[in-house]
Amino acid sequence: MVEPLDIAAAVATHVARRPAATALAWQGGAVTYRGLDELAADAGAGLRDLGRAPGEPLGAALTKGPAAVALVLACLRERRPVLLVPPDLAPATRTALWARAGCRYGLPHGDPRAPEAVPHPAGPATAASPAGGAGDHPALLLTTSGTTGVPKVVPLGGGAVGRFVAWAIDRFGLAPGTAVLSHAPLHFDLSLLDVWATLSAGGQVVLVEPGREVRPDHLHRLLSVHRVEVVQAVPMVYRLLLGSPATAGAPLGHLRHVIFTGDHLSPADALRLRDLAPAARLHNVYGCTETNDSFAHELGDDPFDGARGGVLPIGRPLPGVSAVIVGPDGAEVGGAGEGELWVSTPFQTTGYAGGGGPQPFAPRPETPERPWFRTGDLVARDATGRIVLTGRRDHQVKVRGVRVDTAQVEQLLRTHPHVVDAAVVAAPDPVGGHALHAVVQRAAGSGLDSLALRSYCAGRLAAAAIPSSIRLGDLPLPRTSTGKPDRRSIAAALATS
Amino acid sequence: METPIAAITAFVLDEFLPDVGHGGLDPDYDLVAGGVIDSLGLLKVLAWLEATYDFPTDEVDVGPDDLATVAAMARLLAGARPQPATADAP
Repeated sequence: MVEPLDIAAAVATHVARRPAATALAWQGGAVTYRGLDELAADAGAGLRDLGRAPGEPLGAALTKGPAAVALVLACLRERRPVLLVPPDLAPATRTALWARAGCRYGLPHGDPRAPEAVPHPAGPATAASPAGGAGDHPALLLTTSGTTGVPKVVPLGGGAVGRFVAWAIDRFGLAPGTAVLSHAPLHFDLSLLDVWATLSAGGQVVLVEPGREVRPDHLHRLLSVHRVEVVQAVPMVYRLLLGSPATAGAPLGHLRHVIFTGDHLSPADALRLRDLAPAARLHNVYGCTETNDSFAHELGDDPFDGARGGVLPIGRPLPGVSAVIVGPDGAEVGGAGEGELWVSTPFQTTGYAGGGGPQPFAPRPETPERPWFRTGDLVARDATGRIVLTGRRDHQVKVRGVRVDTAQVEQLLRTHPHVVDAAVVAAPDPVGGHALHAVVQRAAGSGLDSLALRSYCAGRLAAAAIPSSIRLGDLPLPRTSTGKPDRRSIAAALATS
Repeated sequence: METPIAAITAFVLDEFLPDVGHGGLDPDYDLVAGGVIDSLGLLKVLAWLEATYDFPTDEVDVGPDDLATVAAMARLLAGARPQPATADAP
């Protein structure tokens, strides 16, 4: 198994050896390794003014930029676990999340000198549990992309993160000077590769500005100007780039590795990516926040090879990753067959911090040292051992690369006082992967409109979980013979209108 | 002639809020925070501004705040920057 790499120590080496080299490309300028070191030292001084108990994490809502990267680096240096949450999370949800993880302080603006005390009505905070087995205390705490309520907290141990970073550096050939695009926000697990593996290798992180993540002209300019060699993003980003006039006839010859993850990219789009990135190797990577990357499939000369129903295979487990397919009867499926994918990885958490609902982790005899994660993904394995995703065990779909549970969106809509019933269906969307459509029966005479309902959703649902379209009416929804909303006929009606 | 505020309001209602009447949208309502327009919706707005007003999306540095409200979009068109946020209360 790969030896874990210490991010703080690795970055310090590059500060000492190549202080004038670019660490972060940002808004047309550059922050050198020395500059990043100074920013992190300043943030560290602010952190030390905040008291801490052993193992207690610090909450931080970070908007991407050099200060945010420096704050996380300062936490890694101080061995202070940091819980990263989306900057646009509703303040009440954010505070609840920090409280659940045992934070006494949170940084709502990412500034250690402007902390917010986190109230703990239920008594003293309970520190987050160790993440990666004995002695592997949490370094970073991420959140799952929860649909409603408070997302789950995923503590990742220093060893787990360090092993992942070491793997990523090796797999994608990251080295001093390598330019890597950072498209995902810092609180996404994708940043472990884009930002932290890159900085650990002495490379330069090209930061996409917040709010411009879906501007193909902006992305193409960054990729081209900074001669980016490695890019990782959800398929939506590549579909935007492929569909934009900004990229036509302007191939990106410097790209060595193009990684897509989090959702399906069609083999046809993969073929078009070859024109955009003629020198790049293409990788379909499968993973989730709980386990980090687990499988990778490098596309061959024919992207359709191994695809099933227009879905690319996820390939083989990464080194050190164990995977089994569990059938509906609970027994392991050997050889070809279908079932739910369970994985156990050297990069994973051992469980959610502070509870937060059912824990989809279970022991298996193959790896007594760490539990297995039930992914909820249904897969099929063919006779050659290749695995393809076929669906979900629950109502989850991917919207713009973010996991959303349509059943939870329906439940939330039904909690509005003027909503009688609601059905949410996911329809294929050419850019976002899926788009959610809601059909709502409102209370007669209430006059509820979609603006009011959207405002209600905005503070209670993740952005990707807010339906793209909401249709309101006073009539009951169509129902199946068992009395449930007939989502199939609703979807068919939406598709034809 | 229709003012930009009225035209933008009509576009936003048509595209994102088909069931809401014309008086129902305040020009200062935050469409992004309110869940009306998501990141891909912002692209639609930009494309519409480009097509309708010859707005030079390639040359002007447009941030998400410039598109968050109908009034902000109108200011963007008029070439004015959004008003700075009011200073923190003492």
